Amino acid sequence: MPAQKILIYPHPVLKKMCRPVPAIDDEIASLVADLLDTMREGPGSVGVAAPQIGVSLRVCVVDVSASRLGKENNHGQLVMINPEIVARQGAALMREGCMSVPDYTGEVERGTDITVRFLDGSGHLAEVTASGFEAVAIQHEMDHLDGILFLDRIVSLKTGLFRRKNYK
Amino acid sequence: MSECRKDNLAHFAVTIISKDRPGIVADTTEVLFRLGCNLEDSSCTMLGGDFAMILIVSHEKPFTKARLAEEFRLLQERTGLNIHVRTLHDDEICPVKEEGELCLISVYGSDQPGIVYRVTRALADRQVNITDLNTRLIGTVEEPVYVLMLEAILPDGMTVDDAERLLDNLKKELNVEIGVRTITPVSF
Repeated sequence: MPAQKILIYPHPVLKKMCRPVPAIDDEIASLVADLLDTMREGPGSVGVAAPQIGVSLRVCVVDVSASRLGKENNHGQLVMINPEIVARQGAALMREGCMSVPDYTGEVERGTDITVRFLDGSGHLAEVTASGFEAVAIQHEMDHLDGILFLDRIVSLKTGLFRRKNYK
Repeated sequence: MSECRKDNLAHFAVTIISKDRPGIVADTTEVLFRLGCNLEDSSCTMLGGDFAMILIVSHEKPFTKARLAEEFRLLQERTGLNIHVRTLHDDEICPVKEEGELCLISVYGSDQPGIVYRVTRALADRQVNITDLNTRLIGTVEEPVYVLMLEAILPDGMTVDDAERLLDNLKKELNVEIGVRTITPVSF
């Protein structure tokens, strides 16, 4: 399948909770192929979630291995079906953007180390412990499955070094 | 917005600096709303005991600066808010798209004259474009510390290390800490 068009907010599917995948059949295999093609096609894209191409199912793909920030520390191409974060540690800010929310970025806090459990593309239960940029990418894509955009998680208008609370 | 050129709109820059109190934004935007203006872009923050607003406002043509200024004059009579309006020319409306690396440059150390000037002159001379900047005086009365934080886009070909080296002499000369780190947004 060719790469699909990335849907842009305010498309309603982006704010919907996605349904779990009941069984891994041909339809899901084709969805996964579409997601991977879409990710490969997007300039510098390191992940795509199913709702971004209009499918409200809990499937996303991540691959940070070709990115500057992720090339040293990654698990290559991850196909994640019904993913769940089973452990999360640490917190760090990163300025994020999203193909579904063009021309805007903001500071988002994410766990620095996460363990995520999911079914892989062939339906096997898998568990990955990711850190750094890969962990951020996984959390960003998984948020899409809950209808959460990075806009919902912005914690600071600016650098965070100038919070007014500290200003007396 | 990818398409920023809107020939049917008149654009204005509106600046307001007023003693801080709750309601400044509401008072100002109420006027804009009533007139049918669009708030296209804005940056507002507390500065000292003032609240400062910088707004880019548009309205469908025909619409004059005089109309906007008159409404703001009436607002000033009611609320004391002092508002300045300037007409924007067509070539000021679209944001300049730059491709280089976005950096945060932090500068801090004992307060002294010239920190902002010396740092920004060094950057300007190498075509580093500042996109955001704020400063604050912190520390104690005995030992005031000046903090300058700025975001800038490096010109094509300049790396974070280059930028750091560029400021290295100033670091020694002014005896301040200077750090450069990339904050180029990650896109998913």
